[in-house]
Amino acid sequence: MTTTTTTIQARRPGAAAWLRMIQAEAKMITRDTSGMIVPLGLPVLLLVMQGMMFDDLHQEVGPGVTVLDVYALPVVITLVLAMVAMMNFPSFLATYRKTHILRRLAVTPASPVMVLVAQIVVSFIQVLLGMAIAFGIALIFFDANLPTDVPMAVMVLLASSVAMYALGIMVASVAPTPNAAIAIGIVVFFGTAALGGMFGPVENLPDTLAEIGAWLPFGAAVEAFQSTWLGETVAWQNWTSLAATTLIGTGVAAALFRWE
Amino acid sequence: MTATRTPLATDAQHLVKRYKTKTAVDGISLQVPAGQTFGILGSNGAGKTTTVEMIAGLRRPTQGHVRILGLDPFADRAKVRQVLGVQLQQATLHDALTVRELVDLYRSFYPKPLDADQALTMVELQEKAKTKFSNLSGGQMQRLSIALALIGQPEVVILDELTTGLDPKARRRVWSTIESLEDQTVILISHAMDEVERLCDRVALIDAGKIIAQGTPDQLKAQAGVPTLEDAFVELTGKDLHDDQEED
Repeated sequence: MTTTTTTIQARRPGAAAWLRMIQAEAKMITRDTSGMIVPLGLPVLLLVMQGMMFDDLHQEVGPGVTVLDVYALPVVITLVLAMVAMMNFPSFLATYRKTHILRRLAVTPASPVMVLVAQIVVSFIQVLLGMAIAFGIALIFFDANLPTDVPMAVMVLLASSVAMYALGIMVASVAPTPNAAIAIGIVVFFGTAALGGMFGPVENLPDTLAEIGAWLPFGAAVEAFQSTWLGETVAWQNWTSLAATTLIGTGVAAALFRWE
Repeated sequence: MTATRTPLATDAQHLVKRYKTKTAVDGISLQVPAGQTFGILGSNGAGKTTTVEMIAGLRRPTQGHVRILGLDPFADRAKVRQVLGVQLQQATLHDALTVRELVDLYRSFYPKPLDADQALTMVELQEKAKTKFSNLSGGQMQRLSIALALIGQPEVVILDELTTGLDPKARRRVWSTIESLEDQTVILISHAMDEVERLCDRVALIDAGKIIAQGTPDQLKAQAGVPTLEDAFVELTGKDLHDDQEED
């Protein structure tokens, strides 16, 4: 034995390991095709459902902006993001905990944080693909328009994604089992989404509930996306809500997350 | 390197692990010099796995401390993970990945990993390189698990219940793999007497969270005045090795 304590280097896995981990997660997803139905198929379904809810889809609500653009598309985008981030993603993570994959990785130089990041990357790629498919269909078949302020829409997408995945990590951190993760995810999802306009325009809700819904991340994301379609400034309340959600989600997760 | 400057491969001092209602490990101390194969033998529920999880840095001891090559598994985690390979009981892998993909994934974590083909050949899985983990037999999963514990060329390897659930042929294959590890320190957790007797230089007998006896297999047999290690275990602990209790 020639090793002494001084010669042992504290090395962290490099870029190649991160890439392998992301590839591993991607293969886990693509080889279980049923797992891709929610992120890739659901957006199209939601788009069609939203399309059926409005009978005046093509009425203009602003110059070059229709009811579809302002009321349907922001809800579809936010729904996809929220469903995948709050329900789909935490259940995968909880499964890894249950089957001790995280524990196995915990005894290698790879921190289990790598799995978390790799899962979010792969999950988010699916969200983007799902949105791209839905958007393509909306543009071709529903005569949808792109947001008036595309860079701001991208910013809103990023901020909403961070907030929704923070809630997802929070769900994963408090859920003892994969089934619990799905159950808690559903409650969090419907709680925020119903008040945020999933089942119809928020204007139909009583004022107080609509006000609460606008402060929750789902409503905030929908409103922020609507602003980017209308070319209006995104309200500070929307940014505040998304930032607060991110802080609360990651804070709870940091305090309660268990690797096994 | 002189012997006096080389830290012990594993030094566990007065380890205690208490849960709300029970004490799983009650003052265990182990010193394993580099290059030795050390067996931890005990019946189910004796505290073997809890002990080894504390040594591996997976569970914090209530009292006591552990050093791996002089390093604290918690404070020096990043260093310890470079030199310690662990095969866990009840751990699964990304099951949609193939054997080769898993080997490549785990290789990427280490600076000087074993060659992938060499690792697969060592555990005789080269024919299964393209098979998904979920399609492997229990023995093949176990052999892959051993290969992955050794993939980073660790100086210390912990192997928990090495051959549990394997058929006799598979057990002998795994034993040959372990016997071929000449430079590494191996800590073997087992309740299989023949395995411990064949592979281990020294053995600690654990019962009810305590070390009952420690020594070479021959010393333990002599201490108990019996011809086999199994008899020695029964004699020294007063228990059957195969008591079917829940493992902690």
